[in-house]
Amino acid sequence: MTTKILALRNVVRNPITALLKQPNIQNNGQNNLIQFSTSPLVYVNFFNKLPAEKLWKSVTSVSNAGAKKGRGKGAGRIRIRDLNRGQIIGVGKINMLWPGLSAPVIRGRELLKQQRLPDDPERMEKLIKLRDSMTRFRRLKLSPIERGWSGARMPGRSLGPPDPVADEEFVGFDTKVLQLRPLLIMKGTLGRTRNFQAMVVTGNGQGLAGFGIGKAKEAQAALRKAKNRAGKKLMHFDIYKNHTVYHDFFTAFGKTKIYVQKKNEGYGLMVHRAIKEICQAIGIKDLRAKVEGPSNLQHIVKAFFIGLLQQRTHQQLAEEKKLHLVEYRAENEYYPTVVASPSTVRTKEEIPKDETLDFKQYVMNDKVILQKKKFPRFYETMPHYELFLKKYEKYRNHEKIRLDLKVEYGEVKSFLNDKYPEEKNEQEA
Amino acid sequence: MSLLKFARNNTKHVFNMHNDTQAIFISSRKLSLVPSFYDQENPAPKFFSSGVQTLLKRLTRPDFAKVFRKRANTNYPVLKTPIYKFLTDEELNVERENANKSADRLLQMPPAVKVNEPTNDVLSKDPALVGYDNSTYMFTDITFGIDNAHRIIVQRSPDGTLQSCDYETRKRLNQIYFPMQGRKLREPKVFSETEKFNSLLDREQYEYILDRACVQYEPDERKYQELTSITYQHLDMHSKFNLLRSTRHFGPMAFYLTWHKSIDRLMLELIQNGTVREAVLLVALRQAIHADLTNEDTCNTLVSQILPRPIQQTKPDVLSEEDIALDTKCTECVDTYINTNSTMKSQQALALQGFREYYQQMVDISRGLKKAHGNV
Repeated sequence: MTTKILALRNVVRNPITALLKQPNIQNNGQNNLIQFSTSPLVYVNFFNKLPAEKLWKSVTSVSNAGAKKGRGKGAGRIRIRDLNRGQIIGVGKINMLWPGLSAPVIRGRELLKQQRLPDDPERMEKLIKLRDSMTRFRRLKLSPIERGWSGARMPGRSLGPPDPVADEEFVGFDTKVLQLRPLLIMKGTLGRTRNFQAMVVTGNGQGLAGFGIGKAKEAQAALRKAKNRAGKKLMHFDIYKNHTVYHDFFTAFGKTKIYVQKKNEGYGLMVHRAIKEICQAIGIKDLRAKVEGPSNLQHIVKAFFIGLLQQRTHQQLAEEKKLHLVEYRAENEYYPTVVASPSTVRTKEEIPKDETLDFKQYVMNDKVILQKKKFPRFYETMPHYELFLKKYEKYRNHEKIRLDLKVEYGEVKSFLNDKYPEEKNEQEA
Repeated sequence: MSLLKFARNNTKHVFNMHNDTQAIFISSRKLSLVPSFYDQENPAPKFFSSGVQTLLKRLTRPDFAKVFRKRANTNYPVLKTPIYKFLTDEELNVERENANKSADRLLQMPPAVKVNEPTNDVLSKDPALVGYDNSTYMFTDITFGIDNAHRIIVQRSPDGTLQSCDYETRKRLNQIYFPMQGRKLREPKVFSETEKFNSLLDREQYEYILDRACVQYEPDERKYQELTSITYQHLDMHSKFNLLRSTRHFGPMAFYLTWHKSIDRLMLELIQNGTVREAVLLVALRQAIHADLTNEDTCNTLVSQILPRPIQQTKPDVLSEEDIALDTKCTECVDTYINTNSTMKSQQALALQGFREYYQQMVDISRGLKKAHGNV
């Protein structure tokens, strides 16, 4: 580098001779060096004695004790700036044209000469702006599709399929992060150490899904471990008509309780966000679930998976009961569709009196969900609401009438418009 | 009516000239549909007779998957959660019977009745009231429990005459006092504007038209009969009978076509699809309405044999000997009809020949199967 710059210096001094005597450049350079006066100018301070790395560290570092207290974080934090960024070799404060460095040697048929170009006043401003932008904390910009449940945090984000196991690829699988949290452990020698724990769910959207937990020193490693573990613990679930579960069920893990309700097509997933990710991984499209008790995420996930595994298909239910299982849908005028028939059907006499015959009660294992009383909205008991209702009563059909008028006349008008046309003309005027 | 006949003769001519679908298409496009009304003889006694009703219902070929299908006009923002029940055999049978009843309700046919005639009965003339007011007064009996058809609605004109009012006014007043859901006071634009109506026809929204017309009009209204007759003719011309199967409009359509003696395209469709039993029922329907067939007795005996058997939704895989005997008789009966009464003789004969060959294959297969199983 030095030789090159020196050579350039030579070129600056004796452009024509230098260009004519190409092979002698090295020698000339040495000669030039010898010609330099070596008066000892001493600018020795920490600024040009130490490398940039150390200089930056001295500015930004916080003592160990300070870091533990949380110093060097937040608003007043100094960040390392890369001063080389935005700088190009051959371009400096003085705007020079260097053939062979910042410009080609020959442009067209013309041999370019080094020359001073007019100064660029904006150059420094641009550099400062660029450096300033490095000081501010920049959030990772994600598209709304890639984004997880909140901000740029990992939970809710996709990790892609698990890594292939012995040439077996996970085709059509996608992994979603459910939880990523630091775990702090006290160690005898190291004091408080930090581990990351990740919980993910992976599935192909066609009934195959599994969840995994991974721990590691780094978040990425924990996620990878969890993902690959989930891929090795796949479970298969039957999905009713490719959109929902077979029946309502109650499930619990620890003190976390989940009441799951089967829903019709188009209902969507009205569930806890973790359960929603699980449903999407499995391929369930319509479901309602109510979580009661502690909302420990790992408990919720485990409880939901247990509940799904304990489901019975319609055929199993019919066989258990030895009765036909018949489905009635409101959209089909409650036409009785037999969804499952047992091999042998019991008669009415064979059914004991105290047997649970109600389907919902049977699948919930005789558990009855408390239907809480719905209280009127806070404003409904107030006097102004009654007043509002009374006032609004006369307008209650106006919307429909307006629509009818628009259909008939193309505008909102009444017989009075024809009776008094002058009114309309006045309005227009 | 005469114009329609002319048109029909015209198409027949085209049929005989070239046996080409393209030619038929062009000829049908040239035709402008002429509405026909039930204005000569009253069709109601024949339509409501039990024999005709059974035939019409059977010809509808109700498929419960279509009868109870999910409809677009259910006012559920979100579909309700289905209900499940554990049922024994007996309970299931009861439920099925109830479903059959509700299917009957859903398939109740709009009646074919004579078009109404304008009434002009003056109840009284009171010259003392002349010039009392310059408005007409309408009086409506809104007593609870009287049906709309028999409600007393009269008008007092400024010249003092008290008379029952015309049909339009009656309908309007009935609708004002006892609104019928879905019926509009003013005629919907789909029916008043020909362009819009034709676009519906071109899009083959026959069921929508007929359903909407049922709500808006009474069956004895001239407009109703005009709209339905055009729809039936359009549908018949394009042989889109399957669109009306399993709906309540198939019966009235079959009745309309039979009444106006234009069942031949329907007959052709039935033969082409290999449903000769229904073809026999159609022949019997014609016999019941017009009584112009030669083989009346065989036809009636066949109908009595066909009706107790289950409806054939799909072509059967294996034929029993009884089926074969019945179907052969049916084929003969249809053959007689084609030779004596049909106006599309050549095409129907060709289709029947095709059916015979296909049926012979089926018979051979099922007999061979029986032999292979050692059940002969």
